[in-house]
Amino acid sequence: MSTGEAVTFWILVWPALVGAIGMVLARNAIHSALWLVLTMLSIGVFYVLQSAPFIGMAQIIVYTGAIMMLFLFVLMLVGRDASDSLIETLRGQRVAAVLLGIGFAAMVGTGVYRAMDNVTPAGLEQANAQGNVEGIARLLFTKYVFAFEVTSALLITAAVGAMVLAHKERRKGEKRGQPETMRARFYPGNYPGPKPGPGVYATSDSVATPGRLPDGTLTDRSISKILPVRELTSSESAPKGTEK
Amino acid sequence: MEDLSLPKIDYAAVAPMLILFGVACVGVLFEGVLPKAARRVTQLVLALLGLVAALSVIVWQSDTRVLTAGGAVAIDGPTLFLQGAIIVLGIMALLLIGDRAMEHGGAFVAQAAITVGSEADRKQAVKEQGATEVYPLTVFAIAGMLLFVAANDLLTMFVALEVFSLPLYLLCALARRRRLLSQEAALKYFLLGAYASAFFLFGVALVYGFAGGVEFGTIHDSVTESTQSTVLLYAGLAMIAIGLLFKAAAAPFHVWTPDVYQGAPTPITGLMAACTKVAAFGGLLRVLYVGFDGVAWDYTPILGVVAVLTMLIGAVLAVTQTDIKRLLAYSSIANAGYLLVGVLALSKDGLSSTMFYLVAYGFTVIAAFGVVTLVRDADGEATHLSRWAGLGRRSPLYAGIFTFILLAFAGIPLTSGFIAKFAVFGAALDSGEAWLVVFGVVTSMLLAFPYLRVVVMMWLSEPGESTPTVSIPGGLTAAALVIGVVATLVLGVAPAPLLDLTTSAADFVR
Amino acid sequence: MNALLIVVLAVPAAGAAAAALLPDRVGRIAGTVAAAVALLASLPLYRDSWFSYGPAGVRPWHEVDYSWVPALNLHFHLGVDGVSYPLVVLTALLTLLCCGFTLWRAPEPGRGNTLVALLLVIEVGILGTFLALDLVLFFVFFEVVLLPMYAVIAVWGDRDRAHAARKFVLYTLFGSVLLLVGVFTVVASAGTADIVALTGGGELSRTTQLVAFTLLAIGFAVKSPLWPLHTWLPDAHTQAPTVGSVILAGVLLKMGTYGLIRVAVGVAPEGARWAAPVLGVLAVAAIIIGSLVCLAQTELKRLIAYSSVGHMGFVLLGIATLTATGIQAALIGNVAHGVITGLLFFLAGAIKERAHTGDLAQLGGLRETAPRLAGVLGFAAIASLGLPGLAGFWGEAFAVVAAIDRGGPLWTTLGVVAAVGGALTAAYFLRLLRRVTHGPAIGSLAPPTLAPVEVAAWAPLVVLALAVGLVPGLVLGMADGPVQALLEALP
Repeated sequence: MSTGEAVTFWILVWPALVGAIGMVLARNAIHSALWLVLTMLSIGVFYVLQSAPFIGMAQIIVYTGAIMMLFLFVLMLVGRDASDSLIETLRGQRVAAVLLGIGFAAMVGTGVYRAMDNVTPAGLEQANAQGNVEGIARLLFTKYVFAFEVTSALLITAAVGAMVLAHKERRKGEKRGQPETMRARFYPGNYPGPKPGPGVYATSDSVATPGRLPDGTLTDRSISKILPVRELTSSESAPKGTEK
Repeated sequence: MEDLSLPKIDYAAVAPMLILFGVACVGVLFEGVLPKAARRVTQLVLALLGLVAALSVIVWQSDTRVLTAGGAVAIDGPTLFLQGAIIVLGIMALLLIGDRAMEHGGAFVAQAAITVGSEADRKQAVKEQGATEVYPLTVFAIAGMLLFVAANDLLTMFVALEVFSLPLYLLCALARRRRLLSQEAALKYFLLGAYASAFFLFGVALVYGFAGGVEFGTIHDSVTESTQSTVLLYAGLAMIAIGLLFKAAAAPFHVWTPDVYQGAPTPITGLMAACTKVAAFGGLLRVLYVGFDGVAWDYTPILGVVAVLTMLIGAVLAVTQTDIKRLLAYSSIANAGYLLVGVLALSKDGLSSTMFYLVAYGFTVIAAFGVVTLVRDADGEATHLSRWAGLGRRSPLYAGIFTFILLAFAGIPLTSGFIAKFAVFGAALDSGEAWLVVFGVVTSMLLAFPYLRVVVMMWLSEPGESTPTVSIPGGLTAAALVIGVVATLVLGVAPAPLLDLTTSAADFVR
Repeated sequence: MNALLIVVLAVPAAGAAAAALLPDRVGRIAGTVAAAVALLASLPLYRDSWFSYGPAGVRPWHEVDYSWVPALNLHFHLGVDGVSYPLVVLTALLTLLCCGFTLWRAPEPGRGNTLVALLLVIEVGILGTFLALDLVLFFVFFEVVLLPMYAVIAVWGDRDRAHAARKFVLYTLFGSVLLLVGVFTVVASAGTADIVALTGGGELSRTTQLVAFTLLAIGFAVKSPLWPLHTWLPDAHTQAPTVGSVILAGVLLKMGTYGLIRVAVGVAPEGARWAAPVLGVLAVAAIIIGSLVCLAQTELKRLIAYSSVGHMGFVLLGIATLTATGIQAALIGNVAHGVITGLLFFLAGAIKERAHTGDLAQLGGLRETAPRLAGVLGFAAIASLGLPGLAGFWGEAFAVVAAIDRGGPLWTTLGVVAAVGGALTAAYFLRLLRRVTHGPAIGSLAPPTLAPVEVAAWAPLVVLALAVGLVPGLVLGMADGPVQALLEALP
């Protein structure tokens, strides 16, 4: 390890670890995802450090940039749910899991460390002789070409699977056209105007806070159906400027 | 920069896989272009034709012994035999999957996205035709299995593992009845399967660190010559073994099996019990016999303990089961143990007897799940054991068939189960693994009790109000049943041709 | 002539299929015809035993040997010699009698043709066991018997049938497992499963022989059954229907003793020599304990069942001596027990059916109410207790003689104690007769006379009991050669 490599490693190893632990411990799914981004970025840098720029960039662009952002979008669309079940179905499961996990990590870690004690890295120059990307391309299109092609089957399966599990077919009768939608909108008893926006207060900017109608009452209609309604404290529910 | 040239690929040798991948893609295409009414028959015929074509290529290529596609794919005796076995068993499973005579619309849900228990769900359960995507998915799974047993390096093996696992995860979630159970099964299988895959991949990385390559040939050479620390080798092998033993349902990596077998649609359970087992053991055989045979002394005791544990857990827990599908799941776990005994013989006999066992067990287990699909009431399949009481009076024919199948599982002479057990135990004894054989014999006696209990229940109890009816099987299920039962009988009485075939096929190329 | 070996097995098998598939009445007739054909086919297998010479310990009169599974070195090797011939004929005869008996009266509740089919499958298994000259084939046939017998007890049995059937299966499966391990041990270390080649110990090391003999002997001891592994027998006998009991006592138990002679002693003679004293002591314990328990029995079928334990004790004592006389005694004891106990169970069934009870306290005065039945019962009981001139005598007497001939304090003591046991046997059978045939008549029997079918079923057994008793050479003559051959082969 050259000095620069060592310095970078010792700086980035902490964010990587903290990110990983934070991801597991965070209650909030979005926080979790963000912690994971931290870890992935650090690891991406490690890859680049170890003369593997292609995989490092792929890690940062594809994983951190694309997949994690997709993940965040899904969380935002579905709505986050912070209520983690804290009931242990198996008694002592958490403690046992933590202890066994630490034990396993220690075992593998020391094993690999000791195994690597007297090892001199070899073959890096040959592998990167004509550039890192070209080296990977050579392997992909010669030795592992069959596996590479077969991966397409995996992608097709994944796409078909997503469709099978998530796609709902609507029959002709089930789909509402524009006239029906309009008719339903102005049907007596329905409220044709735009729905109120979610409540925005100095104490809470959550979309789960119900909005307030002009007459001062709270309305559930400002909240997406999949979000849990948050109870407002009495000071929050009181109209602004009335507390004096 | 010098030119890259594609490695030479023996297209005839890999044709079975290419055919199946192609057929699956065409199947996916058909989903998009064909009208709904025409899909099921087209898909079924297409899939069956593809499988038959692949099988004929395998028969035609039966003398091929090559390493091809840059050494990533090995087409040799065991590969061809196991591929043939997977395809034949796959055809049987496909027949079960395609049958819609017992239940309107087949065993699969029409639209998996509809919320369970909603009005629309109740409507679709009785009215709509099942999803036809299951056919291309099944063909993808079978194609992945073909590659899995042929893979000659760990990376190709990993890709193949994923290719055949992913469709199975999906298929598990598509049951028409008891959908929550089915979805739970799929999720469990997916999560644990992903975990096992991660282990496999980590193992590959460690072994790469040891051997400097992932081809079995390279690994074999480094095992005998390398002066590297062996920690990497052992840790890597252990993790690879965990990934493979998970698929093979060996203890202590078996916990998913009963839940998944119970929740999955029964034809898919049959597919998993027969084909996945063949594929998983095919991969395990190649890893242990070709790649790591140099350290056989070191892993034999550990895998021996795993085998004993698997047999014991499977046999003991089978005794306590009250659901027929869970019972068969535990019996499948125990059978994984017997197969491991054959694998650990680490000899040519061990290889051939394990392959024979895989085929014999596959035929029997698909027939068993075929019978399970027949015994049903208004709520679908009646899988609780108490419901099977008195079935012998209601339907002597199917109770008789199931009795025969259970006797084959128990290893009673004149069934394929006896010959298969005899072959693997004999091979293990010849290799000096007597302790495994002792456990094997004792647990197979233990395991006879749950089977006999079912037999007794079917024949000696009076049929009650709740005894379900036995549906008349459709032509497809009947065909699968006949194939399974006849094979079980023939392999028990005249196993010589198949045993000769396994013996002549039992040579890996390296 | 060799093809007859196949015919003897194939005919009952075909008969079983026919009986199961045809309608009830026709099926029963078809099954009985098949049993009769099997008996006729088994008779011409006889050949003068001095005719066969050879180096091996088993010199079959006829044999067929087909390669069954070459890859596993399994052979379909059948043969018959003087040791197995009497048992083969006895099996065929008893099965025919039982099938014929069900023609007349099929026990409730199951269908009669199914019962006949099961009996024929059992016959195939037992005949196969006696004829097999390949160790694995022997095991295969040994196992074939298990499930049909279980079904016979569990379906057609008495009130407590489920319990008895389960006990039967548990014990027998336990025995089978040990047997299988034993077979594996022998086959794996000798490299062949051929009984002809294996007899005499062959290449097996002493340790292997000790292990193999222990495993095989315990496996066979469960089937025979040898005290203290006998507890399944009384239950099974008491609960089983009449024909089941007859087959069970008549020939099924003989698989154990036959296996002990042909397989355990033949294949692992060193082990047999080593274990002989233990076997002898257990055999004598079985004789004494069986007799004492019989004295305390209050149920007819149970009493006869326990008497089997005692009789098989004599057979095992004969085997344990490992002398020509002893093994001859075991063979003739086997046949005699099969004939007499078969008859006794037929009689017990007839009495229970007429009196609706098997309780000795509620039976009595049979001499007055049903004189003919009482007469046959008296004959059978006396034959069983070993009166000279009847079949039971030779086996018991020669076993004692063989033990005393063997010499030494242990064997002499065993012989003397066994003789005392013989006297006890007489005591409990006389007690049985006093209770059942003599004494005041309790209740009435309906009908008091014997049906023609019953006479037809019992007559061959009565004749055989007399014939073997008067001319023991019938069995001993043909067994002489094979036993000599076996003993010559022993080191």
